[in-house]
Amino acid sequence: MARENACDLVITDVNMPRMDGITLVSELRGLPHYRLTPLLLLTTESSQERKLEGKRAGATGWIVKPFNPEQLLATMARVL
Amino acid sequence: MTHTKRHAAAEKARYPAAPDNPPPTQQHFAHISRYWDRENQGYAAKLLPGEYYVTTAGERISTVLGSCVSACVRDRRLGIGGMNHFMLPLDASKGSSIWGTAVSAATRYGNVAMERLINDILKLGGRRDSLEVKLVGGGRVLGGIAIDIGARNIEFVRKYVADEGFSVAGEDLGDIFPRKVHYSPETGKLRVKKLNAVRNDTLYERERHYLEVLDRDPVGNDIELF
Repeated sequence: MARENACDLVITDVNMPRMDGITLVSELRGLPHYRLTPLLLLTTESSQERKLEGKRAGATGWIVKPFNPEQLLATMARVL
Repeated sequence: MTHTKRHAAAEKARYPAAPDNPPPTQQHFAHISRYWDRENQGYAAKLLPGEYYVTTAGERISTVLGSCVSACVRDRRLGIGGMNHFMLPLDASKGSSIWGTAVSAATRYGNVAMERLINDILKLGGRRDSLEVKLVGGGRVLGGIAIDIGARNIEFVRKYVADEGFSVAGEDLGDIFPRKVHYSPETGKLRVKKLNAVRNDTLYERERHYLEVLDRDPVGNDIELF
């Protein structure tokens, strides 16, 4: 789906069965129309190592669950 | 030797002390209290409200539940798994303004407690279709006449488990008693001891304090833009 369509913003979970969020971010960054798209990771994990992995993969930001809806919207506004 | 000394020596011989250090565990469990369970001759982890623990080393996990609930989850094939210990905050107003009450702050806390436990097990090799779930706690211990906090927690965890497509292999929920719980992810055995409802000030205070902290705690401040 991502290969065919561009979107303005992606928020993805990290722990997913077939492909984890960090790998997804890394793969999306390889697609021309996703080079500059804000990609946010939303997860229960909060360790520095994992955040660094996300950053290296090309993520725009890291949001730890439980999230505050107002904060999430503010973050989205900032990156769009 | 006196009689008592001989008895103590015999006890020590029958239940030897820990042979060595507790098995290594993941970094995020470093602060979890672990102890040598003499009676069962194995290591065990003791959970406080808000904590969870997952083991692949045959350890048991224990806690004391009043109105809090614990989900005991393991992978049947591998004998690995863990347990959480949580309660939903009372203040549902945080977050309900935008999302509506459907995804209240309370539910989000519960979701995180369950997600962390299950994700850890899956990351250690567990498979969703091999997971076995047991539920315990939610006694009518905290709260007044108007609200049954235990029942609220039970409702949440039952719904979560059902939504995730898991069946409940065993449970000991509700009633009015606090519970001392021992769970073995290796065997799946869940041992519950009902405690005296009246003489448990420590538990009552601990849970009341936990609820206060939950309601006070601003949620969703850990956001990092790279």
